[in-house]
Amino acid sequence: MAAGEDNKNQIHKEFWQDEEFWRDKLKQRLVDEMVKENIELKMEIQKLEAELQEATGNSEIKEDIPEMKMKFTALENPENDSQYLNISCSFQVSSQVPYELQKGEALITFEEEEVAQNVIRLGKHNVNIMDRTVEVVAKPVLLKPGVRFQVHAEVSKMKINVTEIPDELPANQMRDKLELSFCKSRNGGGEVESVEYDKEAGSAVITFVETGVVDKILKKKDYPLYINQDCFRVVVSPYIETHLKKFQVFSGISKKTVLLTGMEELQMMDGEVVEDLISIHFQREKNGGGEVDMVKISLNQPCVAYFQE
Amino acid sequence: MSVAQDAALRENPFHSLQEEQTRLRMRLQELQQLKRELRNFPQDQDPFPMPEVPLVFRGHTQQNREVPKSVVSNLQICYPLPGGSALVTFDDPKVANQVLQQKEHKIDLEECRLRVQVQPLELPMVTTIQVSSQKSSRRVLVSGFPANLKLNEEELLDKLEIFFGKTKNGGGDVETRELLHGGVMLGFAKDEVVQNLCRIGQFTVPLGGQQFPLQVSPYMSGEIQKAEIRSQPVPKSVLVLNIPDVLDGPELQDILQIHFQKPTRGGGEVETLTVVPPGERGLAIFTAQSS
Repeated sequence: MAAGEDNKNQIHKEFWQDEEFWRDKLKQRLVDEMVKENIELKMEIQKLEAELQEATGNSEIKEDIPEMKMKFTALENPENDSQYLNISCSFQVSSQVPYELQKGEALITFEEEEVAQNVIRLGKHNVNIMDRTVEVVAKPVLLKPGVRFQVHAEVSKMKINVTEIPDELPANQMRDKLELSFCKSRNGGGEVESVEYDKEAGSAVITFVETGVVDKILKKKDYPLYINQDCFRVVVSPYIETHLKKFQVFSGISKKTVLLTGMEELQMMDGEVVEDLISIHFQREKNGGGEVDMVKISLNQPCVAYFQE
Repeated sequence: MSVAQDAALRENPFHSLQEEQTRLRMRLQELQQLKRELRNFPQDQDPFPMPEVPLVFRGHTQQNREVPKSVVSNLQICYPLPGGSALVTFDDPKVANQVLQQKEHKIDLEECRLRVQVQPLELPMVTTIQVSSQKSSRRVLVSGFPANLKLNEEELLDKLEIFFGKTKNGGGDVETRELLHGGVMLGFAKDEVVQNLCRIGQFTVPLGGQQFPLQVSPYMSGEIQKAEIRSQPVPKSVLVLNIPDVLDGPELQDILQIHFQKPTRGGGEVETLTVVPPGERGLAIFTAQSS
């Protein structure tokens, strides 16, 4: 019976489509689960990497240098030729070492090291805060390691970076074409000393014989490269070398700043008032103190204090 | 598209995810192994001696969990000036701007005219720096120097290089050396030399006629991961270029000063004027202006 056959076919088709539908649904579920597992694995990996970094002492420093106005201070005439080949920028970076002050703790910085050491030696101090006497304990501050280094950046006056070079010719030929195009003075170029060409990356470093050519070329962001009858615009940018000097991890030691603990009960009071009273107490020689530079107390919430050179 | 191809395409995301998971699991195993190794070799976890730098609290605090800012100091830029150039700094940046309106300036002399070019001055400044540090396999830190050592930098570095360059002392070929705050960094050609020296740890080194006990420990070296450099204009200054070789240094300085102070030529009060006569060269030093 045709109708019956048709019916069977229809049901068969529907069943088949359903199976496909469910197979797809299952596949999608498996894919989703796998995606979730991979994300979890990535998070665990990140956590372990951070743990290992801390344990082995590896660290990362990321710093945004604030804009500073520069002022001309002197004209020098060093013997060293290489200093005239670059515009150099250098500066010193020293990390500020953080110390987390817990509630009821304070930091006090004295003018004199001996005073600070004496206060620590005396250990317990009975300080009058308003209507009560608080037993304050003085301890040395244990600091985490810090890092200091010099950054040197050199912008070359003889070399430039060229990028987006089309992959049209074998390396040797392209090197020649680059030299020919970059020595054309009507385009701002000049006599070329050497060409380093990376065919795969489509980039090159061009060294000129004279300084001054680089400035002319870098007035624009691109430069014409002639290959037979065609002209391509390649991108030019400054050639900059950066390196670190005198990189050093150091152990911070606090000689003038002392940690004061045991003031949790003063939570309800005004921080500044307590700081002043502490300062007054420790300024008095008869209390074993001396000239106080500054006091900072953490009463209601922990705060992070930064130590510097 | 055939059913088989269709299925293969739909299976593809699954395949690449499977491959990714295999890779991730391998990496995880690697890290777990490293963690176990660290636990089994506690000596690696002993904090190695670091030079001490006295620090002080001056009131800088932060309530939130922001990343602390480091202190940047000694910012210096060295800008080479070619022969036949001059650097003019005006009191008023508006004057500098006015002077720059003309690319070429004609300076009148008694018998002739000097044609010079002016252009704005831009200095390269590092705006962001990212540095990572890790234990170096080729470098060590030598520390324990007495405070009153009577050697200068070169002498000290030479003596250390000589001592630690000898295999009989446990050392080897020294490739780099650097004087640090409270220590000296020595870089060697071979990893084994570094491992050996760190293992021995204590050395008696002759420095300037006396023997001193020094310590050798692993050195954490830093590497720049990223550095962004931007050009910053110097608003009060102007570069004068291509000064023809007609006058002597002092005379040239006077002539230029007179010209650039003339309001009729767009000039004004000049703060400083430095000349590099033709045939010579100079390095202009710029330092950060303290606010």
